[in-house]
Amino acid sequence: MPSATGTTLSRRRFLTLTGALAAGSLALSASTLWPRWARAEPELATRLLRLGRDIYPHEAIADRYYLAPLAPLLEEQRELIAAGLDDLDRRARAAHGRDYAAVDSAAEREALLRQIEDGEFFQTVRNTLVVGLYDNSELWEPHFGYQGSSWEQGGYVGRGYNDLVIDWL
Amino acid sequence: MSTRFEHDDDGVVVIIGSGAGGGTLAHALARKGIKSVVLEAGKRYALEDIENDEWAMFEKISWLDERITAGPRQLTETFPNLPAWIVKGVGGSTIHWAGVALRFQPHEFRLHSEVGDIDGANLLDWPISYEELEPYYVQAERHMGVTGEASGMPLHDWNNNFMVLAEGARRVGYEKLRAGPMAINTRPYDDRPQCMQAGFCMQGCRFGAKWSTMYTDIPRAEATGYCEVRPNAMALTIEHDERGRVNAVVYADAEGNLQRQRARAVCVAGNSIESPRLLLNSHSALFPDGLANSSGQVGRNYMTHATACVFAEMPKPVNMHRGTTFAGIISDEARLDRSRGFVGGYTLEVMSLGLPFFAKFMDPANGGWGRDYAAILEKYDHLSGVWICGEDLPMEQNGITLHDSRKDQYGLPVPIVYKGDHPNDGALRRHGQQQARSCYEAVGAVRVFDVPDFPTSHNVGTNRMSARAEDGVVNQWGQAHDIDNLFVSDGSQFTSSGAENPTLTIVALALRQAVHIAERMSRGEL
Ligand SMILES: Cc1cc2nc3c(=O)[nH]c(=O)nc-3n(C[C@H](O)[C@H](O)[C@H](O)COP(=O)(O)OP(=O)(O)OC[C@H]3O[C@@H](n4cnc5c(N)ncnc54)[C@H](O)[C@@H]3O)c2cc1C
Ligand code: SF4
Repeated sequence: MPSATGTTLSRRRFLTLTGALAAGSLALSASTLWPRWARAEPELATRLLRLGRDIYPHEAIADRYYLAPLAPLLEEQRELIAAGLDDLDRRARAAHGRDYAAVDSAAEREALLRQIEDGEFFQTVRNTLVVGLYDNSELWEPHFGYQGSSWEQGGYVGRGYNDLVIDWL
Repeated sequence: MSTRFEHDDDGVVVIIGSGAGGGTLAHALARKGIKSVVLEAGKRYALEDIENDEWAMFEKISWLDERITAGPRQLTETFPNLPAWIVKGVGGSTIHWAGVALRFQPHEFRLHSEVGDIDGANLLDWPISYEELEPYYVQAERHMGVTGEASGMPLHDWNNNFMVLAEGARRVGYEKLRAGPMAINTRPYDDRPQCMQAGFCMQGCRFGAKWSTMYTDIPRAEATGYCEVRPNAMALTIEHDERGRVNAVVYADAEGNLQRQRARAVCVAGNSIESPRLLLNSHSALFPDGLANSSGQVGRNYMTHATACVFAEMPKPVNMHRGTTFAGIISDEARLDRSRGFVGGYTLEVMSLGLPFFAKFMDPANGGWGRDYAAILEKYDHLSGVWICGEDLPMEQNGITLHDSRKDQYGLPVPIVYKGDHPNDGALRRHGQQQARSCYEAVGAVRVFDVPDFPTSHNVGTNRMSARAEDGVVNQWGQAHDIDNLFVSDGSQFTSSGAENPTLTIVALALRQAVHIAERMSRGEL
């Protein structure tokens, strides 16, 4: 069952990811340099990046935040990723006469991905990203309004845990 | 802390597990001068180990030994090896529990008498009544520091998340809206500080404002000199003498070496998957189907609460991540009222998740991605959420069995955790989802959406209490019907699930069991 494999993988991944990710995002620092594994294979990395940005599309988030968690897949599961991206391009060419990344409409790209969403390739990428992207503390407050660790600041007593005014009704 | 008991000391009670049931029991026994050895599979953590970080804490403290999720439910697909969310560590799941501390309602102890037989459900009354347990509820509330009358602590102020839900609830006519009761200090109590509204209750409370056996019962039991806690000690089998009384527990220590601790009595408190698993694994020539299993009910009647979550996007930021995680409770639907099309009731409990967990749990199935998904996450700070905690009917086929060939790191068969819905559960869940939706719509939600169940947090029922030996595993004291010095001391004793979170009842039962054990010892029976 493809779904079961995908989700088994997902668990293993998210168990290992927190550690891997923390190291990865630190190494990136503020520079916009791509992670090492992305630089080693820029062509694959670019295609994987397009896919990642379509899975969890956030306009305002820079590429490197997608690449940081995804690039290690190019090392650890290169065959799966390369074959999956090729398959995706084949499907795109059959449906639209061009490679996946060249399909202009986001809706059409999403429709292509819906066809493969139960497969191991897609779920590997998605499960990597759902932790790798959203568990990055650099993105929390600026993009999502999530403030992360609070105990160092004495929690939210006196800092807005009960200040809501329901004035929209 | 320094007390050590010899492995061949047969005067000690061996308690397996240090969570809500085991930790409470060890402390209560120690205060009566009864010696115990607590075997805890997990490590010991300090307050400094507790981080405000969802995945880091998940990874650090969760029970991640192999388990198999089974049954017609989404979790089988989405979390095939993580049926339940349980802590492995000194303190057990009280490290990450959210602190909601509700009593069962009187009629819930006699659900079978109230509603009669229901097709497909294995309903049974508890062998104890609310009235019998009530004094222990009061004691448990004082002991744990539950806001409200017993402790004298006021309830919490409503946080933003609850204000939103409560306003909607009021508009649909609900009246029983409370920010508690919670075992979370609203002022210093029990030598622990007040809650700082840090918002990471389910990752462990860095301040110790929330009750957990990790930093209350366990160290206090040790301080009496009557209790030795052995972390990294995984109980593998319980042994018995030729008369069938238990007399030792074999466990693997931190180095993986097998040890045998002799015992005067054994109390099993490993939560509702490991407790029946241990009894089943302890089969012998005398008890070929496992210990305490003459009824065939060990591992059966597994209940998880009928649950679901509903989240809503509000027109303005709510910042649900600020303040206690389960900040308020609506109890109007907790009553028994068959006109709704189901038996049993449910509570609606406001809840929050941080962004990392929410991104994963909003839809863990294969389809949980895409533009709509990301758009909701962009509104993370506008979200409010509610969790439905509903009566889950016991069914014989729901339960824990042992895999034929797969073994864990100790060579023990891996547990298969099977759970399907009774039609009643489905009806209750749909009703709850609809009511939650109505609340959010009434308070002007931009959109409301269902969020599926997570790996189970409330696991009960797999060694249930019964008046008659043929209907269940233990009697009204949690003592095995078949073996008079073997006890079950955790949520697996539950005969029904109620519409309330289980922990207060687990603690009340453990306090009551301690009294019983002490009395039997003083009569020379144990
Ligand atoms: C996120 C979350 C939030 C929750 N919030 C609430 C809430 O608000 N209110 C509420 O009432 N409940 C809540 N719960 C449920 C609550 O945590 C449990 O009901 C309660 O802790 C169960 O107590 P227990 O004694 O049965 O088991 P646990 O507290 O889980 O303790 C079992 C212990 O036994 C150990 N163990 C197991 N097997 C062995 C073995 N073979 N040998 C040695 N040790 C073993 C385990 O490592 C563990 O430490 C929540 C649970 C979760 C996951
Ligand atoms: S909200 Fe309160 S109880 Fe919860 S973790 Fe923070 S300080 Fe502890």
